[in-house]
Amino acid sequence: MLLSRVAERIYWAARYMERAEDTARIVRTHGELLADLPPTARVRWEPLVMIMGSGTRYTQSQADGRQQQSQTHAADGHAAEELGVVTFLVTDRVNPGSVASCVFAARENLRTTRDTLPREAWIVLNDVSLYVGSEAERSADRRRRDRFLSRVIADSRRLDGVLDTAMTHDEAYVMWRLGRAIERADMTTRVLGVRAAAVLELRAATSPVEGVDDHDEVQWMGVLRSLSGLQAYQRAVRGPIEGPKVVEFLLQHPRFPRAVRGLLREMRMALAELPDPGTAFDAVDRIDTQLHDAVAASADGAALDAAMDALQVTIGDLDERISARYLRLGQ
Amino acid sequence: MTAGGPWDELHDEHGHPRPAAQEVMAVVERLGVEELRARQASATADILTMGITFTVYSDGANIDRAWPFDVIPRVIEATEWRRIERGLVQRLRALNMFIDDVYNDQRIIEDGVFPADVLADSANYREECRGVHPRFGVWAHICGSDLVRDADGTMYVLEDNLRVPSGVSYVLENRAVAKRAFPEVFARQTIAPVDAYTDELNKLLSSLAPEGITQPAIAVLTPGIFNSAYFEHSFLAQRMGATLVEGNDLVVSQGDRVFMRTIDGLEPVDVIYRRIDDLSLDPEVFNPESVLGVRGLMRSWKAGKVGIANAPGAGVADDKVVYAWVPDMIRFYLDEEPLIPNVPTYRCLYEDERRFVLDNARELVLKPANESGGYGILIGNRATDAQLREHVRKVEEAPRNWVAQPILDLSTAPTLCGDHIAPRHVDLRPFILSGESSYVTAGGLTRVALPQGSLVVNSSQGGGSKDTWIVDLGASWGSY
Repeated sequence: MLLSRVAERIYWAARYMERAEDTARIVRTHGELLADLPPTARVRWEPLVMIMGSGTRYTQSQADGRQQQSQTHAADGHAAEELGVVTFLVTDRVNPGSVASCVFAARENLRTTRDTLPREAWIVLNDVSLYVGSEAERSADRRRRDRFLSRVIADSRRLDGVLDTAMTHDEAYVMWRLGRAIERADMTTRVLGVRAAAVLELRAATSPVEGVDDHDEVQWMGVLRSLSGLQAYQRAVRGPIEGPKVVEFLLQHPRFPRAVRGLLREMRMALAELPDPGTAFDAVDRIDTQLHDAVAASADGAALDAAMDALQVTIGDLDERISARYLRLGQ
Repeated sequence: MTAGGPWDELHDEHGHPRPAAQEVMAVVERLGVEELRARQASATADILTMGITFTVYSDGANIDRAWPFDVIPRVIEATEWRRIERGLVQRLRALNMFIDDVYNDQRIIEDGVFPADVLADSANYREECRGVHPRFGVWAHICGSDLVRDADGTMYVLEDNLRVPSGVSYVLENRAVAKRAFPEVFARQTIAPVDAYTDELNKLLSSLAPEGITQPAIAVLTPGIFNSAYFEHSFLAQRMGATLVEGNDLVVSQGDRVFMRTIDGLEPVDVIYRRIDDLSLDPEVFNPESVLGVRGLMRSWKAGKVGIANAPGAGVADDKVVYAWVPDMIRFYLDEEPLIPNVPTYRCLYEDERRFVLDNARELVLKPANESGGYGILIGNRATDAQLREHVRKVEEAPRNWVAQPILDLSTAPTLCGDHIAPRHVDLRPFILSGESSYVTAGGLTRVALPQGSLVVNSSQGGGSKDTWIVDLGASWGSY
């Protein structure tokens, strides 16, 4: 027995926590990637804002001058951009998609469903929320950033672990898994749409005169790392790291838990345990079909970007159907 | 009321620890203030991490605050406690018989023991409940009575909270925290456990299910996240495996039964532990504007299709004027003498008592009949002239709404105040469950007024709390 209202809050808590974890990982990986590239490389921080689909809000926040102070302290334009983007994505409480905002939102949602979840789960989330509340401001700084982001990632996984091992695998748990899977699938398509597409574009535009390459392999490794997929890719593909293969792996691998197809499996399993999922299954099937077209586009940046946009629309439709069927009863 | 200063719960008049407090005070002394502060800090950190909070409304926003807890426990000897326990059970039996009587035969009025006009004017009397017979004749299933001790050591009942008393979750949580803070004392002494409460509550609620239902679905009805006791609502639901619901999760449908809206459609609810006021319960019968309640809930309850605790209308006995008659109720219904006395109470509706109150207002506490949380109270010897005049005017305007009591010199307990230990005033709220049988929490919630000299223990007004230990000395000799 699961109240519709409680289902909604658990679903959203799962999505917010997943978003916090994924954003943290993307920011962390990007910092590591840039450290590996020569200062002349044309990789910037601002594309990360595009991944989160927050371009307009970011521009607005820059215009509002919220980052003004940080910019005066920054040594040069690059550092200023880094600080601006990281602040926006990690600590900014006005940005609802920042790591800090997502952790707080997850906590607010679970706070109203504490009777449904194991107490340890609440303690983990409350603890990381207190940590984020006290440490976020200082964590835009490069040296502290890694530890902060790693803690958020680890606690998000700890929360999953507690739920997996201490909670009855009932409808509430299934709702959690469903929220996680949908957010994760969405994030994988966003990373591919922006980061991967940018690398492909960059390669196409690079003339032989300008340089040997823009460290293609390192960049693709960055894409994989930002989705926890480097090791899994190497085991699955057993060859050099190449763009189209990375794209195919992240979309099509049936068992990798951040590959879209692997996530469809998770969504189907979850939906099968809920009463009368009806048309939600149809939306999952449509995502499946779209995956094939997307893989075909894997060599062309603009086409890949468009295919990812189409996938995100269908994932949004799935979310809408789940909401209408389970989450908004009596409202 | 005496010259010797307040009674100390843990020390006798010579400053020596009372027998039941010897063990813990020896540990406190051995540890020293520095170590005690360290344990206080770690207890406070536990409370923060465990998310033990209460909500205060401040600066236009609801803020979730960490529960204030003092590490030094309040100790009561088991033989004294057993006597208090019997007194509380006696009191609740009489109170429940009174509520059942006023909604049915009104024998107590007919016999001239209780005045009809006090009932007629009671803000918490619900005409809609006339003629209802809840199971076991019990209306106030869950009661939190406030006990205070005067300077001579007498324990009084200060008030009975029969509507939606809160605080019991903190009794359980304080114990969890105290065990970590003083493991050595728990190992050496027999301290009555408090954990059984939620199980007892669960059994009581189950016993209120409609006829023929063996595994009832229990729901805890909360006004929502912004209520100051939301933490407790969710805590109790969690401990009982009940469903925490808000009004719009419920609907009264086929055959006047109550249902919850689940992801799989409507599921029946058999018992509701409601934590919302009578007037919010059912917009069909009470406040039509209420969005916290459920339309048709009263219909369902009256038809016996759902059990509700506390029963609607139970608050009629939770009125500081009606309180003055509780000793008479005990004599009338049980033919017994009260085991725990009332604080002497002057009823302003009677001209002679009102005259006395107005003439002696400086020496009295003036209390509005139907407020809770310590609001509206005036302590005569601490009020300014203007405040006193204002209250005198209010009493004259609506005498039925006011009672007065002597200013008690509340007992104190040693409390960690910054870098030293000092006495602070305390009260005690035990919780009494009444159904087919009765249950009293082992001890209860000790609330402490943290500012020096303050008598206000309410957590909404800056009060703190302590764990309460019922120490059985007889049972602990073996370990020496």
